[in-house]
Amino acid sequence: MKVFSSGCTFDYSWDEVSTANWRKYCPWNDKSTHVVGVDTISRSVDPSTGILRTERLITCNQSVPQWVLSLLGGTTTSHVYEISYVDPVAKKVTMCSTNLTWSNVLSVRETVTYRQSSLSPTTTTDFTQEAKITALCGGWQKIKNKVEDASVERFRENAKVGREGFEAVLEMSRRVFGEQRDLEKQRMQA
Amino acid sequence: MAASIAPECNDIKEKYDTCFLKWYSEKYLRGNTSSNDCEELFKNYKGCLNKALKERGIDSMLDDARKSSSSETDAEFLKKS
Repeated sequence: MKVFSSGCTFDYSWDEVSTANWRKYCPWNDKSTHVVGVDTISRSVDPSTGILRTERLITCNQSVPQWVLSLLGGTTTSHVYEISYVDPVAKKVTMCSTNLTWSNVLSVRETVTYRQSSLSPTTTTDFTQEAKITALCGGWQKIKNKVEDASVERFRENAKVGREGFEAVLEMSRRVFGEQRDLEKQRMQA
Repeated sequence: MAASIAPECNDIKEKYDTCFLKWYSEKYLRGNTSSNDCEELFKNYKGCLNKALKERGIDSMLDDARKSSSSETDAEFLKKS
């Protein structure tokens, strides 16, 4: 098993980040174009805790190295199952995802959190990401290592562009929400 | 908003997503967690999506994943912090 982890702090409030998170893969994000579909499977609020639980199906069109394709089968469309929890009291989002495609040869489990930062809770949000990648195919350890290393490398690349793309979404969200607020204010005053 | 895996569901998905985002930012985050403004739209979207998942043979693999991993994460993250 290989572990990839990363983290950063966004200069936006948790309310802004957790809202923009729902539109992370919209056209405002021109970096994460490998995500071609995001579908909500179920959604409910736990009555006792107020925690919002959401299940989604994420569909990706990845460019995969040819040698991986010949090993795993010739499809470039892959599906990911994601379950997320928003705790509005603790101001924390947790998203857990697992791969549906190639799951018999490769297990990828990712946990992402967005939480109110402890240093300046009203203006910044801490992000963490951890992925556990395990090649399950029988056979040579050498090949398993190679598959795991290639997966970690792809995670690293996606994490970098993912962050850049999300920054763009955050910026656009702030601008659009600001404009909406101004419009409403004008309407109230008129 | 992101597209649906099924192009035929895009219109209803867009309506639902817009409704959800408005509810999330204007009600849910402001403490009104029990309201359910988008239920009807979600029902229609889900009807379209479930049909598409079945046609594409994704439904069974999704069900397996839901069964095997959701109870574990529910136990950890669906409790009071």
